[in-house]
Amino acid sequence: MVGPFDSITIMKRRRFMQALAAAPAVPALIAQQAPAPPAPGAAPGASGAGRGGRGGRGGGGFGGGEGPALIEVIQPDAAGDTVARFFTTAQFNALKKLGDTFMPAVNGAPGALECGAPEFLDFLIGVSPADRKQLYRGGLDALNAHATAKFAKPFADLDAKQIDAVIRPLLVATPWALDAPKDPVMHFIASFRTDISEATRNSRAWAESGGAGRGGRGGRGGGIGGGGQLMWLPIDPIYKS
Amino acid sequence: MAIKDYDVLIVGSGHSGGMAAKILTEKGISCLMLNAGPEADYAKDRVAKPVYEMPFHGFNKPGRLSHVTQANEANSEQWVDETEVPYTAPPDAPYNWVRVRLLGGRSLFWSRQSFRLSDFEFNAAEIDGKGDSWPIRLADLAPYYSRVEQIFRVSGRKEGLPQFPDGDFVSQTNLNLSSGVMQKISELAKPRGIPLSTMRSSAGINGLASSINLLLPDAMATGKLQIVSNAIVREVTTDKSTGLVNGVHYLDRHSRREMHAKARVVVVAAGTLESTRLLMNSGLANSSGVMGHYLHDQIYGVRVLASVPEAQDGKAPPGLMGGNVFIPRFRNLTKEDKRNFIKGYCMMIGGGGSPVATDFAEYGEELQKKLTHYAGSCVSASIYGERVPRFENHVSINKTVNDEWGIPVLHIEVRDSPNEINQAKDAADTAEELFKSAGWEVIVKTDRYHPPGYSIHEVGTCRMGDNPKTSVLNKWNQSHDIKNLFVVDGAAFVTCGWQNPTMTISALSMRASERLAELMKQGDV
Repeated sequence: MVGPFDSITIMKRRRFMQALAAAPAVPALIAQQAPAPPAPGAAPGASGAGRGGRGGRGGGGFGGGEGPALIEVIQPDAAGDTVARFFTTAQFNALKKLGDTFMPAVNGAPGALECGAPEFLDFLIGVSPADRKQLYRGGLDALNAHATAKFAKPFADLDAKQIDAVIRPLLVATPWALDAPKDPVMHFIASFRTDISEATRNSRAWAESGGAGRGGRGGRGGGIGGGGQLMWLPIDPIYKS
Repeated sequence: MAIKDYDVLIVGSGHSGGMAAKILTEKGISCLMLNAGPEADYAKDRVAKPVYEMPFHGFNKPGRLSHVTQANEANSEQWVDETEVPYTAPPDAPYNWVRVRLLGGRSLFWSRQSFRLSDFEFNAAEIDGKGDSWPIRLADLAPYYSRVEQIFRVSGRKEGLPQFPDGDFVSQTNLNLSSGVMQKISELAKPRGIPLSTMRSSAGINGLASSINLLLPDAMATGKLQIVSNAIVREVTTDKSTGLVNGVHYLDRHSRREMHAKARVVVVAAGTLESTRLLMNSGLANSSGVMGHYLHDQIYGVRVLASVPEAQDGKAPPGLMGGNVFIPRFRNLTKEDKRNFIKGYCMMIGGGGSPVATDFAEYGEELQKKLTHYAGSCVSASIYGERVPRFENHVSINKTVNDEWGIPVLHIEVRDSPNEINQAKDAADTAEELFKSAGWEVIVKTDRYHPPGYSIHEVGTCRMGDNPKTSVLNKWNQSHDIKNLFVVDGAAFVTCGWQNPTMTISALSMRASERLAELMKQGDV
């Protein structure tokens, strides 16, 4: 949830990040504090290597110069679709139906199904902590149980009116993000509504359709999907024991 | 061998450590600074990426930063990984400990809101009728605030309000009430005794007001500062014969090789909770038994959102929407103002926002209709409020859990009291009453706020005071127990106020460092 000053702060932070990227002051400052780079063509550890001893395997590889030009590669999402592995077939079918209900394709923008959002959530929940896995599994099972009890068929086979009869009693406003409904199925519905929106809007298909420019649906995707944002790469990672 | 004895060893490189380094080195004192993380290379370490090229499509890696609600996948490398440096808390008392270990620490990412504390905070016991006061008053710190404000290039609007002390601003900001909704707020606030002002902010340089560009360069220019990055300090060591501190043990972040650095004085500036963890793991400076207690920060939250009828369905006439105001504390300023809570909060009101999908129990077409109807028609309110420092809110060392470097972690136990709950309720009621009086449609009102720690303004675990039996530090941020040990970050606070603490932390560090330099010159340390 973002208040007016939070928005200002975020905007300022974005401008700050852009300023960092553009302004020479900070990199120059950092460069000033860094040790001088080795002379062109010098092998790693060259100053000590000549003294013999422990050099080991250094030196090889690209040798001197700038190295070969990078070969262009593409991202995983450009070449294939996510394989759903985590949920059972019944759970995943219910998830797809609910995803299509909350994020249908409208006004020329692709919906959750076209964006592969259900498959992405199958992956994401499958690598999430146990309580989140249980929230989703329990919620999807409950949807199927409600559908079977009311209409004698699984949730995925319900029509729009029947779906509304199942989910409307479970849908609540959550104006404060940390106030998850105490009922686990209502909690699932509230979480899923946000997750499916973000998974859709953050997808490659959404960005390529120009969906980012259409805005309107909430979630964090709008400003990110099209133009990209500054991502911090792993900074000097540690060696895990 | 490059190893040497330093005059002062500084643990941490944020605003407090950076200020100590600047002041001490400019007085000719040699300093070694140890920082737990790497130095970020802004050119090398960041790349512009569309969200779908991030491994988790913007959702972040599950479980890695579960308490850092400020984190997203793009900035996740800024923060300390909770799986590398975990902490524990009771299941019924969640705590958000938000940390940065890059060189410069959290000074790289703060919001730059720049306030002084007032004597309503420094003299809290008398104002509140309970609790404790600081051993100093605004007058003691004012000259240092002024110098810090010049370094940080703070702008603001002078108000002459005792609860909102004016700074030595490098430029003035104007109160902009030109929009129709802000004029309405102004009309309604005045008879209610609610003052309106503007945000006070540090401009810094190129939009960055960090230790790495405002403080450390000056220290480096003296030739008296050396900085080691990726140096994780495990223990402050002592001379057994004198009881004085004489250096620290630290581990190389990558290899975990342990080293020892020596110094005449140790200044701890690792951030409130890391500083406290270090001292507790070292078994030092706690004859009072107070160390680790009185942990508190600020409540962030409360959300009241109202829609202006004339602006609905995209029909806002020009000049109606927009603008924002900052409302400094206005509760409990006089003894006649009887409330069911002590202390107070500030409020931010902004005009021109929209609701979000989760504000409604709708989906599909009905949801879209509501979002479209209210888009751009809203005025919103949120607050920063002061939590009460309480002895029972404390940290301890959890000896059963170690971090990635084998160092025992913190156990954090903080619970809110009715004071916080009543304060937030008062804020939500006040905003709702204002908005309804304006004739606006209130569509969201919640008096809920984030868990403790969320504000990233945690303070109080090595509080200062005149009595060594009830405080860890004296009024100069110097340990009562060990005269060559100083703690110059937020741990020294007695009360946090509702204000962003950066100006106060920096002013206290400046003041303590000048005192330390004087003591060293006199041979008293």
